[in-house]
Amino acid sequence: MQTPVTLLFLILLIPLISGILIGLFCRKQGALAMVLSVGSAGLQMALCLYLLWSEAWDGTTIHLNYEWMRLGLFSFNLGFLFDKNAALMLFVVNFVGFWIHLFSAGYMKDDEARGRFYLGMSIFMFSMTGLVISSNLMMMFIFWELVGFSSYMLIGHYLTKNAANAANKAFIVNRVGDFGFLIGIIWAYWVFGTTDIATLQSLVAQRPDLLITPISLLLIAGVLGKSAQVPLHVWLPDAMEGPTPVSALIHAATMVAAGVYLLGRIYFLYTPTALDAIILIGGITAVFAAICAFGTRDIKKILAYSTLSQLGYLVAAFGLGTEYGHRPEVIAEHGANAAALFGVGAANFHLTTHAFFKALLFLGAGSIIHALHHEQDIFKMGGLWKSMPVTSITFAVAVLAITGVPPLAGFHSKDAILYIAYLDNPITFYLLTGTAMLTALYMGRLWFVAFWGKPRSVNASHAHESSWVMLIPLIVLALYSALGGFMVMYPRALHFLLHDSVLHPEGASYTLMLAISLIAGIGGLVLAAVIYKPGAAEDRVQQKAPALYAFFASKLYFDEIYTFYVKKIQDRVAIILNFLDLFLVGGLLVRGSAGMVGLLGMISKLSLTGNIQTYVYWFLIGIIGFWLYATGVF
Amino acid sequence: MESLQHFLLNCFSQHSGLNSALLYAAILAPLIMGGLLIITDKLPASTEKLLASIGFAIPALIAIWLWSLYNASLGAPGIFNDGGWQFITTFDTGLSRLGISLKLGLNGISAPIYLLAGLVGAAAGFYAFNAKVENPRVYHGLLLIMLAGLMGAFSSIDIFFFYFFHELALIPTFIMLGLYGGRQSRSIALELTIYLTLGAMLSLTGLIVLYVKSGVNSFDLIALTTQLADKPLPENIQNYAFGMLLLGFGTLVSLWPLHSWAPRGYAAAPASTAMLHAGVLKKFGLLGLIQIAAPLIPMGAAHWAPLLMWLALGNVLIIGFVTMAQDDLKQMLGYSSVMHMGYIFLAFATLSTTGIGGAVTLMVAHGLSAALLFMLADMIERRTKNLDLGELGGLVRQAPTLAAFFVVATLASAGLPGFANFWGELTIFTALFGHSKLLAAGAIVGIVISAVYGLRAVSKIFFGEPTEPMSQFLKTNTITDLSAAEKRPAILLIFALLVIGFFPKLITESINAGARRLYADKPVMTATAQPTSPVASTQASH
Repeated sequence: MQTPVTLLFLILLIPLISGILIGLFCRKQGALAMVLSVGSAGLQMALCLYLLWSEAWDGTTIHLNYEWMRLGLFSFNLGFLFDKNAALMLFVVNFVGFWIHLFSAGYMKDDEARGRFYLGMSIFMFSMTGLVISSNLMMMFIFWELVGFSSYMLIGHYLTKNAANAANKAFIVNRVGDFGFLIGIIWAYWVFGTTDIATLQSLVAQRPDLLITPISLLLIAGVLGKSAQVPLHVWLPDAMEGPTPVSALIHAATMVAAGVYLLGRIYFLYTPTALDAIILIGGITAVFAAICAFGTRDIKKILAYSTLSQLGYLVAAFGLGTEYGHRPEVIAEHGANAAALFGVGAANFHLTTHAFFKALLFLGAGSIIHALHHEQDIFKMGGLWKSMPVTSITFAVAVLAITGVPPLAGFHSKDAILYIAYLDNPITFYLLTGTAMLTALYMGRLWFVAFWGKPRSVNASHAHESSWVMLIPLIVLALYSALGGFMVMYPRALHFLLHDSVLHPEGASYTLMLAISLIAGIGGLVLAAVIYKPGAAEDRVQQKAPALYAFFASKLYFDEIYTFYVKKIQDRVAIILNFLDLFLVGGLLVRGSAGMVGLLGMISKLSLTGNIQTYVYWFLIGIIGFWLYATGVF
Repeated sequence: MESLQHFLLNCFSQHSGLNSALLYAAILAPLIMGGLLIITDKLPASTEKLLASIGFAIPALIAIWLWSLYNASLGAPGIFNDGGWQFITTFDTGLSRLGISLKLGLNGISAPIYLLAGLVGAAAGFYAFNAKVENPRVYHGLLLIMLAGLMGAFSSIDIFFFYFFHELALIPTFIMLGLYGGRQSRSIALELTIYLTLGAMLSLTGLIVLYVKSGVNSFDLIALTTQLADKPLPENIQNYAFGMLLLGFGTLVSLWPLHSWAPRGYAAAPASTAMLHAGVLKKFGLLGLIQIAAPLIPMGAAHWAPLLMWLALGNVLIIGFVTMAQDDLKQMLGYSSVMHMGYIFLAFATLSTTGIGGAVTLMVAHGLSAALLFMLADMIERRTKNLDLGELGGLVRQAPTLAAFFVVATLASAGLPGFANFWGELTIFTALFGHSKLLAAGAIVGIVISAVYGLRAVSKIFFGEPTEPMSQFLKTNTITDLSAAEKRPAILLIFALLVIGFFPKLITESINAGARRLYADKPVMTATAQPTSPVASTQASH
């Protein structure tokens, strides 16, 4: 057992060491910081792949605990819980993480503050790895907050007012989610006497009566924040203010998936009511965000809404699968242990493929933005097939993958989700199928408008292909986006979750699912071409049906509602309380009542002399007098 | 590590006389240096600086040393120490007729606070060399006397001297506020003086009540504890004595609604004074409640705890909102400091080992982070001559290190993991939840509030483009990043926050041992499983 533990320690500590070195020595040496950060991410990936491919780890759960501090009844442990679920997430984080690091070596080449950028990236890799292998919820909460911190730091990278607002929004909205999450963790601690995930699982199995819905719901609050589910989704589109590699790594592939990972990590801690809530939240987010994607022209924002929608998919998939796995007839057919993992399997499979194609989409967008001198409006692009062939081809792969065209990765994983929805809950099935259609439609809009036709701006006509350091990550991710549905692409240790725990349709239902996928995917793309016209210079929906576009662009007024709350309620309450504090508590109550007891006379006399020292001298004389009296001098 | 532990244990057991003498030295060194600086006025500037440096450094070194020894002795075989008093030494003051003698020592709870006093003392002292004041000699002298008072108060076992040393630290505070304070400092100094003196007098009266009613004719806390454990005071006396102590100590620690002296006081005080007061001296009242009041008169504490909880929630929520409305940076920090006292009061009011443990941990952490923030705010003010959040902006370009430090300090204060404050807050929330779900939920709202006002300040000061007033200012002034002399004290505090943040056991072991001597574990866990035992375990399973 020693080797895998040592490897895990190394995988966790390498980015921390890189972060410390960059923080101490390389804040002004951007190139050195880049080498350290990219190098450490590469080493991390190499070790991770060695751990999983070489079978240094035999697939048994590694569970380590060490008491890190104790105060009274509160004891906090640090430890590893490395199981198949953690292994998959570690693979995703380290694998995608490295390629994005490599991409940023090219993308951030001319940035003034590369040191700070790579410091944030290294802190992120450390925190995210820690989050994945944490053995208990309190420890997970630590890394949960730390990924939030690195996200804050990187969103604010460009230091503009907008970046600052976006960074603050991300941190604060996440803290709102963490507020519930933390209460849930502490509640679980008092009920179960521990937050160790493995121990919790056996306790819940022994005493199912201890698990109550409020705890489950509070634990979901953390997911709402981190995985940006409605109504805490508002921070993610704004987070696109950060550099594009950050959007790819943190706000598309890994950190925002942490919420889904958490769901799977404690899949046994949800009551049926909580599962219904999960399905509802996920379903609403999936549809809502897909609609919003039609209301923006910014390539990164479209992708951000797409991420939101896909995260909703993942959350709903977890809820549906777990609920299905709780059914008596399913347990009878598959066994309780296997059935309990149907939700985790479906959600994590799509989480993995989504990480590949969404990272690829963002990096492709980054490649374009880089080439077009920070032009992000898709209607000002065009003609990219010729000028940027590699970017265009890999981007096309990602588009086909996310729309679920067979046999690309997205087809397999999305299919699994739709199938489980089909089995469990027809309404959600229609909802998610509709979302799949919408996904194809908005991805088609993005793709046909941005890539096809003639260049529609000066920047677009001067576009040229990015350097190889940026293209290699695109190619690798395109490979996985295309073939990620096949198990040969993954180490054996991951097959359990990606394959064995995923229900795939067979026979008649297979044909049905295939048909639905094709109609939704290809049909959506074709419809997009018809509606938006390849190479269009203007949004045709905006021109022909302005009301509909306005509805898309309104985003259901969530931001307006929150702004209203902050400006009209929170700020006013603060000002009123401040007024009360100054004039009532400080002015009347305290000073007034002090006057009542007759001190006012003494005070005003002292204040008339206007001299503090007077008062101090009196005090000293008093003390000396007391001393003399007490020692018996007089 | 083993040999270090062995060496420390050896020093602990072999040189107990020397270690006790160090407690005196930590008081006398700054006191003598401070006295010298105030009395003499013919010394060359370099000698003055040397004297002051010695005075600021010695307490810190002694504090680190004694705290290391104390930690090493915890649970060590042979000289098993479970959090009780160590390094005890007595000096006859001639007041034995009244039961007063200078008795010094450290226990599990006071040792980390003593360390805090030493560290913040050094940081505040060395930062003071940067201050541009009229009469630096007197300023440094007064700071040194304040530091002497702090080192004395936190190592006193005799409660009379506990109080006396507090006054020794408080009086220079008033004088510095009057002499070197900023805007309207006279009237603010007066208000602060009145509040704090009234608070101190009330707590002194309460302490005297304990002394008189206990009948031991001694101010010695150890003797009092033994006596009152044997023969507890009648409940009605406990109730009014604790009420008095709570009101007195509460005022000193800015319990809502007795806090109004704090924000403006800190905003007006010179930086090093605010650092020492907000960071360290304020902890006097809390230590009085934790070490003296509640253990000696537990029934009184239980009687007042429910009310105290609601007032403390006022600190967190009402003052939290008030903090959001502040436009003056230093005033905002003052309110933020008041808000965090609410957590500590809440935790204290649970009267449990968990709560007290969290409270003391947060006391140490808050001391470091509050001192750091006041220092950084002063650095901003010295550069921009402005503390109005509406008029600052874009400073990160001129002063990136200052910006980085400020972000770090803000997030530490907002309880980000990796910094000491997190452990205090997490433990406090856990303790509170075991006591009352509603209060815990109310207190946890604080993690959102502190993020809101902290990040608002960061973005207004450092991000974006310079505001109109700032661009005007920049036309005639240049803003530079931190000098080495400014960096050093900041790095000291950040380092301490990070080290405790990563290795909380450094302070929690002794705090836990100390809290267990005075308080009970409660409430009982509802579940079958108890917290996992402190063993490292490896297990493999499918």
